[in-house]
Amino acid sequence: MSALARPRAESPESPALRAFEAQWHARTVDPLHAWHERAMRRFLRLGLPGNRDESWRYTNLRRLAAVDFVAATEPSDETPAAESGFLSGIPAGAIRIDIINGYPQLASHVPVAGLRITSLAQFARRDAAGLQTLLAEPTDAEQERWALLNAALFVDGLHLAIDGRLESPLLLVHQMRGSTANTVAHPRVLIEAAAGSRATIIERHVATGMPPTLCNSATQLALAPGAAIEHYRVFADGAAATNFDSLEIRQAADSRCKQFTVALGGALLRTNLQAHLDGAGAELDSFSLLVGHGPRHVDCMNVALHHAPRTHSRQTARAIAGDTSRVIFNSKVVVDVGAAHAESQQSSRGLLLSPQAEIDTRPQLEIHTDEVKCAHGATTGRLDPNMLFYMLSRGIDRATAQSLLVYAFLADVLTGMSVHETRAGIEADLIAQLPDSELLREFR
Amino acid sequence: MLKIENLTARVAGKDILNGIDLSINAGEVHAIMGPNGSGKSTLAQVLAGREDYEITGGRVTFDGQDLLALKPEERARAGLFLGFQYPVEIPGVNNVYLLKAALNAKRKAAGLPEVDAYEFLALIKQKMKFMEMSETFLTRGVNEGFSGGEKKRNEILQMLVLEPKLAILDETDSGLDIDALKIVAKGVNSLRDPKRAVVLVTHYQRLLDYIVPDQVHVLSGGRILKSGDKSLAFELEERGYDWVKASRVA
Repeated sequence: MSALARPRAESPESPALRAFEAQWHARTVDPLHAWHERAMRRFLRLGLPGNRDESWRYTNLRRLAAVDFVAATEPSDETPAAESGFLSGIPAGAIRIDIINGYPQLASHVPVAGLRITSLAQFARRDAAGLQTLLAEPTDAEQERWALLNAALFVDGLHLAIDGRLESPLLLVHQMRGSTANTVAHPRVLIEAAAGSRATIIERHVATGMPPTLCNSATQLALAPGAAIEHYRVFADGAAATNFDSLEIRQAADSRCKQFTVALGGALLRTNLQAHLDGAGAELDSFSLLVGHGPRHVDCMNVALHHAPRTHSRQTARAIAGDTSRVIFNSKVVVDVGAAHAESQQSSRGLLLSPQAEIDTRPQLEIHTDEVKCAHGATTGRLDPNMLFYMLSRGIDRATAQSLLVYAFLADVLTGMSVHETRAGIEADLIAQLPDSELLREFR
Repeated sequence: MLKIENLTARVAGKDILNGIDLSINAGEVHAIMGPNGSGKSTLAQVLAGREDYEITGGRVTFDGQDLLALKPEERARAGLFLGFQYPVEIPGVNNVYLLKAALNAKRKAAGLPEVDAYEFLALIKQKMKFMEMSETFLTRGVNEGFSGGEKKRNEILQMLVLEPKLAILDETDSGLDIDALKIVAKGVNSLRDPKRAVVLVTHYQRLLDYIVPDQVHVLSGGRILKSGDKSLAFELEERGYDWVKASRVA
């Protein structure tokens, strides 16, 4: 194995970085070795993101940098099955694929018309060059450091080719299993939606986080012309789980993508979305529902890049923060020179439920052409005292009134979800994290 | 039923109520009239328990209970209802959910079981028909996108469902056309009962053509300057509030 460049000076002795480097050296050489190696070199040169990195200003990784991570292994037959309690809201007839420690469990999978499912390891053995053309290196590696690490260290993953109209939703369940603390895995998912295809894909992260785990997942979703995809990523991890998730969407002409990012669990969660509107008329609707509960830290970064004419992006974020939690929502729209008549909307609203909680929202806009319509708005506040008094004056107790108002605040995002069971499951998880959940449950 | 003795209150350091004395018995309808800024709405809000107001003196008893010691929600469950001058819009909270939650909170406080969902819907529909309200109300957020008149009708609908002992209606007539005013009056009159009382806070005598009060009080400068029967309202309409102030000084 060739010697790799040492990381930059920022955290030269970071145990986490040393652990990732050791994991690299311990890897079995696979058909994509050169590709992985390039990513690893770049990652080591850049090091872990720090507060000097623009998009990491609000999330301090110092504690994480001190952790000596252990690579997750392929699950064996003795690995205990996932507790069903972590999976609320499974749509009826869903095509379910479990991904444990990044390894897809395809043994019992039944073929579905219009869907090809392959493990990335199998794909690489069969057609390494073909796979390499599909794999994206992060376009903005400076900011997408964890996606870069995923590119370097993923061992297996899932390739889904959707051709036609999938009636049943696809459910991907990401689980983390490890007997030792600080297990790390780098699950990778590639989804290709063929021209005119239709599908709903739900990625659900359900690590128990006991012992503590780090899941560094990356998903690429490519929509061919006219494809329509509804994609969910739901983070319902246990209280000690850390999750970094990078989602890259590429949309060809006239494709439509509805994307939901739902943060309902974990200790530390960072989600990235990079959506490239590459083809004329492509439309993206992104919804972020970010719930800060207990000491949770949620950092959501969404970027929509308009590269083609008449592209349309709408970003809707609703963040609530209670207890000592912190929620960050950064959204950015970039309109390139070639993207005449592009339209974008960014709406983010935050609701603080406790004096110790914090919400930071920052909409950004970068426009390089004329003839565009771009709107953005961001507000953060507390519950409206007039609404609260109105409900109290009707005899409703304070806790229930507050919960109803919080729930109402999130309604804009929830009502956009077209998979009923998924919405119901998310609502149930959400309500469990609101004060006075028992009373609220009956008013859904 | 309600006894107010020398009640004083302030908001943001300014004295608004300067010694209110008022007794309301079961079965009665009282009208409180007065010019802008006289303290009418403050009195209504203070009785409902709005926390922005600081009570600086006096006593209020409601059915023998110390009303001022109760939280707003406890006052409501004890049978007090405030019809808002400006009903609040709460997008995302359904009208029916709100009413059901309110009714169940009241029933729970009275030791009664929760209302049956089917019976509740039938009840709402019946009251909506009585108030001549559109069915779209059922699916909308609380007062969301309602016109001024619809909001006021919704206040009366809530009152009819909750059947309070004492309803305080704060300028429920303002902004209503004559047809809507008649409907609102019909709603209020339907609740008149020897066991209940109604307080109408209003600017104009117009409402009192449809809801005939037992007593009329003129509030000005945070005090009740004059009380009388319904003829006082006509006199006010004719001679204006300055007449009351002048006669008081004289």
